[in-house]
Amino acid sequence: MNGNGQLVVFLEQLLNGITVGSFYALVALGYTMVYGVLSMINFAHGDIFMVGAYIGFFTINRLTDVGLTASNPTLAIILTFLTGSLGAAVVGVTVERIAYRPLRKATRLASLISAIGASIFLEELVRLIPTIATAIINIKIGGAAILAPQTRQAILKIVGDMGGAMVKTYPGILSNDGFVIGGLFVSYSRILIVLISAVIMVVLYTLVRITKLGKAMRAVAEDKDTASLMGINVNQVITRTFFIGSALAGLAGVMVGMFYLQIKPTMGFVPGIKAFTSAVLGGIGNIPGAMIGGYVLGLAEVISILFLPAVYKDVVAFVILILVLIFKPTGILGSATSQKKM
Amino acid sequence: MKKLTLLISNKKVLTGFLILAGIFLVCFPMLDFPQKALWVRIIGYAGLYILLGMGLLIHVGLAGMLDLGFAAFYAIGAYTYTFLASTHFNLHVSFWLAMPFAGLVAALAGVLICFPVLRLRGDYLAIVTLGFGEIVRLLALNLTTVTNGSQGIIYIDKPVLFGIQFTEGYHFYYLIFILILLFVFLMNRLVKSHIGRAWMAMREDEDVAQMSGINTTSYKLLAFALGAFMGGLGGAIFASWQGSIFPDNFNLMVSINVLCLIILGGLGNIYGVIIGAIGLIALPDILRGLSDYRMIIFGILLIVMMIVRPQGFLPRRPPKLETQAVGLVKTPLQKKKKGDKK
Repeated sequence: MNGNGQLVVFLEQLLNGITVGSFYALVALGYTMVYGVLSMINFAHGDIFMVGAYIGFFTINRLTDVGLTASNPTLAIILTFLTGSLGAAVVGVTVERIAYRPLRKATRLASLISAIGASIFLEELVRLIPTIATAIINIKIGGAAILAPQTRQAILKIVGDMGGAMVKTYPGILSNDGFVIGGLFVSYSRILIVLISAVIMVVLYTLVRITKLGKAMRAVAEDKDTASLMGINVNQVITRTFFIGSALAGLAGVMVGMFYLQIKPTMGFVPGIKAFTSAVLGGIGNIPGAMIGGYVLGLAEVISILFLPAVYKDVVAFVILILVLIFKPTGILGSATSQKKM
Repeated sequence: MKKLTLLISNKKVLTGFLILAGIFLVCFPMLDFPQKALWVRIIGYAGLYILLGMGLLIHVGLAGMLDLGFAAFYAIGAYTYTFLASTHFNLHVSFWLAMPFAGLVAALAGVLICFPVLRLRGDYLAIVTLGFGEIVRLLALNLTTVTNGSQGIIYIDKPVLFGIQFTEGYHFYYLIFILILLFVFLMNRLVKSHIGRAWMAMREDEDVAQMSGINTTSYKLLAFALGAFMGGLGGAIFASWQGSIFPDNFNLMVSINVLCLIILGGLGNIYGVIIGAIGLIALPDILRGLSDYRMIIFGILLIVMMIVRPQGFLPRRPPKLETQAVGLVKTPLQKKKKGDKK
């Protein structure tokens, strides 16, 4: 391979790294916000990301059914993003309400276990939705099925899009077109994804910096009791934090589905851990830190592929994490005072 | 519930119950009943998790160091034993030598991973150990020349004692049973020794412990080494019992299961580990009748358990001196005694 070819390979990997980094950063924001506010590891966050991907998949198939994907793909894509992130946000808030809120005063281990339970529950629920639905609609009352066979078929077809153990494939709605610079192919969909993520992160950062909600969030992160004495509705702030974080994870889920096409119920686990790694890398509880951490991790992973067999990219991610914790435990942007919060 | 708590807090009742349960567990592989081999296997497997649980109990319950990568030590023990006693490298070291050696190698790994993170607390240690667990699994998966990768290693030697080769499930059942008795005894002594007291002091407040003259560094290392040693032993037994090992035997779910069982059982209580292991490891097998739904039920149970009884089934009873000195925490037993005097 000549020098130019190597450069193209390197740039290609760089692009891959930025794309993967965007996903990590979006999911990492949810981890870092929740950790900032509650000091807990939201173990189910990776599964929220997965739920978002499935809701997006369901939506886009329904939109295809009514013909919108063919007539107006832009609107279809926007609607899919919206439902995916809103659905994930609702699920995230529900998980907080049921599994975390009753445990806010309990030990940290208790809420961690509860989060693990929620993670298992979500993953299994998505896997089992068609099974459960089949069992329900096949209930017979007095020897006769309650639903006509055609209705059952129709229901099963729709429910089949909501989950199941098998890998589902998104319809290829993003175009494969792109342009070539110096031998390097850049697709428009990649640019779209990187841009959307970047814009959303900037919006979020501004939101936390200047709005009243952002101020309240920072106050709750600093000291819950004092914040509530200052008239801040702590529960509401926490709910909103979960809402925003889960919406971002859901958005990332839909993007991953559209870009890599394949989704499955276990898809949230590894990205979840990596996103948490990104959050720690950037300095946990720190929003710009989570973004930087996501991009750094994504880039480090793909650059490692140039030197090591691709199977070691996960090892590289964790080795980086351990090295950062040893030499700069507060992360890239973490403040020196966070020792106490550890 | 209160009555039940009172009952199980009573030492005589507890001892009686343990003796009865012990007699039952000794006799039951000798009885004849349908599906005996399966039940011996299920309970033996729960027993293996009791050993692992006691190892992790030293990390989390006694020394207060949250460890999410316990499967790493389990894997290191299993692979060390396998390298020493299988056709893989054509070494056939006796089980009784290779098992403690596997424990020692795991302990060394524990010290090595603990050393860099000694300065950090809580969640950071959790993430480092989580990363370490994944690194070990990924290395086992990808270092194909050494570990044979996902093909795993088969034909692992069985232990031989007095000319009897351990081939049946009940051989391992009794081996594990005896080890549990030994370790319960040792752990009880350990908890009451100055080492156990130092660990518990560290768990309650590290700064105060350090100011009281406890060398927290060496006690942390000791805790990590001992816990990892037990994990390594468990791994060696697992490898020889199974006769074959695969990297997937050591995934994150193992770490999470062990952590869940010690927390469900009651953090810091050795007998809680036993209850937790039987509940948690045997439960999915008992629920096997529900086949597809067992994991989702398990997830729900984890959440409900944490909300209803976050301290676990058998919470740690504070030692007598502590309760007398503080005068605030009273065990049900003490309240009853006071009532007697009146």
